[in-house]
Formats: sequence, C-alpha cells, structure tokens
Amino acid sequence: MALSLKEIKLKILNLTPLLLLLFISLNGNSVVDFKFFSINLHYILIYYWVLKQPQALGYGFIFLSGIITDVIIGLPIGVSALTLLVIASVATYIRVVTVRVSLFYDWMSFIPTLLLANSIFFVALYLSNYSIDYIYFFKNSIFTFIFYPILWIIFRILINLTKQISHA
Amino acid sequence: MDTSREDFGIAIRSAFLKKGIQQRFSLLALIIFSIILIYAETIETKPLEYVRTFIKDVIYRSSAVISSPSKGFSLIASSVQSHLNVFNENVKLKEENAQLKEQVYDPDFLIFENKQLRQLLDEQIESSPNIISARIILDKQSPYLNSFVINSGSNRKIKNGMAVLHGKNFVGRIVDVNFFSSRVLLITDLNSKIPVLVQPSGHQAILSGHGMNEPTLEYLPKNHEVQTGEKVFTSGKEGIFEPGIPIGKVIINHEESGNAKVFVSLFSDMSQIMFVNINIENNSN
Repeated sequence: MALSLKEIKLKILNLTPLLLLLFISLNGNSVVDFKFFSINLHYILIYYWVLKQPQALGYGFIFLSGIITDVIIGLPIGVSALTLLVIASVATYIRVVTVRVSLFYDWMSFIPTLLLANSIFFVALYLSNYSIDYIYFFKNSIFTFIFYPILWIIFRILINLTKQISHA
Repeated sequence: MDTSREDFGIAIRSAFLKKGIQQRFSLLALIIFSIILIYAETIETKPLEYVRTFIKDVIYRSSAVISSPSKGFSLIASSVQSHLNVFNENVKLKEENAQLKEQVYDPDFLIFENKQLRQLLDEQIESSPNIISARIILDKQSPYLNSFVINSGSNRKIKNGMAVLHGKNFVGRIVDVNFFSSRVLLITDLNSKIPVLVQPSGHQAILSGHGMNEPTLEYLPKNHEVQTGEKVFTSGKEGIFEPGIPIGKVIINHEESGNAKVFVSLFSDMSQIMFVNINIENNSN
C-alpha cells in the first residue's frame, strides 16, 4: 500500500528528533562551538524530547548515540551514554511528576538535570584518568541553559507542525 | 509524609523501571549496561580488544561518510573566504616578505647550528623506509580531546605511543589503535605531556598541552635562561620518542605579576594537517 504525501510528511517529522540525534553523534557535533561560547545540543535535544514526546526518542537510540559520541570524540566508551541516559532519566521523572507544562518550569528543572549530568560526566572521566577543562565546561553548561528556551521554541514549532498535518 | 514518600517511590519506579511508551529497554538496564561498558574499557583482553576495535572502525568509517557533506560545505566556505581575502593577504604577504628579507640568516650559521644540534642530540634525522604516511579521516574539534583519527592502524604495524609527525615536525602520539584506524593525541591537548629539550640553552622540560594552540614549557629549572626564539625538540628521555624531532619555537610571555610563562609556537599548524608520518621503527610501549 502506497504512502500518501501526508503520511510521508508525518513520518519525516516524527523521525526528525531521532535523525537529528544520530546525525549530531556521527558528525561529532554534540557540543556546538561558537567563537566565544559553546552549547551542548545533545543535552537539550534529549531533555526536551524525552520530556515532551518520549515516543520520538527511544532509550536504546539515546544509548547508541552516546556510544557513537564516545568513539568519535575519543572518550572511554560508555561515558556519554551514561550521561545522556541520566538526562533522559531526570526528564522522565519530571514528566511523571509534572502536571502543568510551561517553558519556565521546564527551563528551571533543566538546572538540576545539567548539574547531575555534568557531575556524573566529571566523575566518570576522573575515574578514567582523563583531564578536562573545567572552566570550559562551566561556561558550556551556562550557555546550554541559556539557549534552552530558543531550542524549546524551535522544537515546539516542530510538534505543532506535526499536529497540524495529522489533523488536516 | 508517608504519602509523599510513596509518591516519590512510584515516580522513580515509573521513570526507571517501566519501559514506557514504545520503549524497548528500561532506563535502569541501559544505565547499568553503560557502567559495565565504562568498566570494560579498563580491562585489556584480546576478545574485548577485537570487539572494541571493530566497533570503533565501523563508527569512524560511518562518521567519515556522514560528515563528508559538511566537510565539503566548509571547504567551499573556506575557499570563498580565501578568495575574498586575497587583497588583504597580498598586503600582509608583502609586509612579511619585507620583514623576512631583513631577517635573512647566514646559511653557514644554520649549517653549523644544524651540525651542532645533531651532535648534541646524538640522532639522525634521515628519512627512513620505516616511516609510513597516513591520511586524517576524522578531525573533530572536541572540547574533551584535541585529537584526530587516521586511516591506518594495526594493519600497518602502528602501535600505541608511536610519534606522529607532520613533515618532520612532531605533532602528537598514537593513543588508540584499531585494525584500520588510529587516534592521534595532539600536543596541544590537556592530557599531552612530552619530555623536550630547548636549544641552544640546553634545558630539559615537559611540554604541556592546555587545549589551546600554544602549549607551555613546564618543570624548567628555576633560573633558566630560555629566550624567545629558541627551538624545542623531543628529548628522547625515557625512550618514548626519538630524540631531536623538531616541535616549535619558544615565546616568552611576561605577566603583570612579574612571572614569565614560556609558550611554544608550534612549527605545524594543527588545523591544516591532512597527512601525517609515523615512524614504526622505534616501537614504544
């Protein structure tokens, strides 16, 4: 049975988060470096989609994406996977306990998520004898937090577009 | 109090143990598996090594394919940019040319200096049939590691710890070997510590990367007489690398507090490397 244009559009839109997740892992763009600051696209992507539409990103794919990132970047295999799964866990917990959905609440709950994820990341790297630039990571976490609302709006538009097409 | 504790327990169980909507794995199972994988990285056994190298080779090749369009775009962008900068570059080159003309060294002095250095370092800088060339297949600017992946591995007798050269300049060492690929840790990386010799002052030091373009010289003697412009070579101490591989030139930066920081301006531009040489003769552990 042939797929209609509407179904193809919906499939593409539904697969967008997953494709984006695998693309940034394979392309080594989990941390996007601008001239004066950097943001962790991986963290925002996983936190948002696990919080809003868990069916769009499977935990298995998040794990796979972490493994790919570790290999591409050169970290011990499992470190990024563990960090990303911790973000997914916190997002799942917040989804379970939250009744009211708002950008502000999502944004504020992103602070403990980042703190927990980065702590686990640091501990895992420390135990693996890897030196990292802590100041860089501090700045990265701040800008990841600051940029969250921008990506929240972009992803929201994507969800609304999917809804519009499915209701059309 | 009891009710809130119960609610918390239910929420945790629901988040970690339930597979959720269209999920095939539970979060807890995957987290435990990730921890096992991190632990497995520390175990060095042949079967595990084979699995690791196979996975890495497959991911490197896939990444090289996936990132080829973006690499193409950045090449086009840099080509357009370089065309736009032709005029400025011409002016700059003219200035540089004039400066260089003023600084022409006596070739006899350079020959003498070269002979002296060779004697001092007791080494031969000759091209050897044991030097193999490799192409860089992945060069991801990572905040964690300043490294790149080359297209040669154990299939071409590459081993961990081998020195990696750009032309004849030292740029890093092999830190991870797979069947068809290897990872090179650059001297600019935070984890890189290389024993070096500064000439002509003759001081030994450790070249330490900081994630930036210019690594620093550490553990120099207290009253050292290192001057700007002195050359830095591998010292060959502890038998890790061959002695006398050129690395860069000293730049001394005087801070306001009165302390002087000794930086090294590298002979090779790390962002412009496409091919590297690896000496497979001097095998290290």
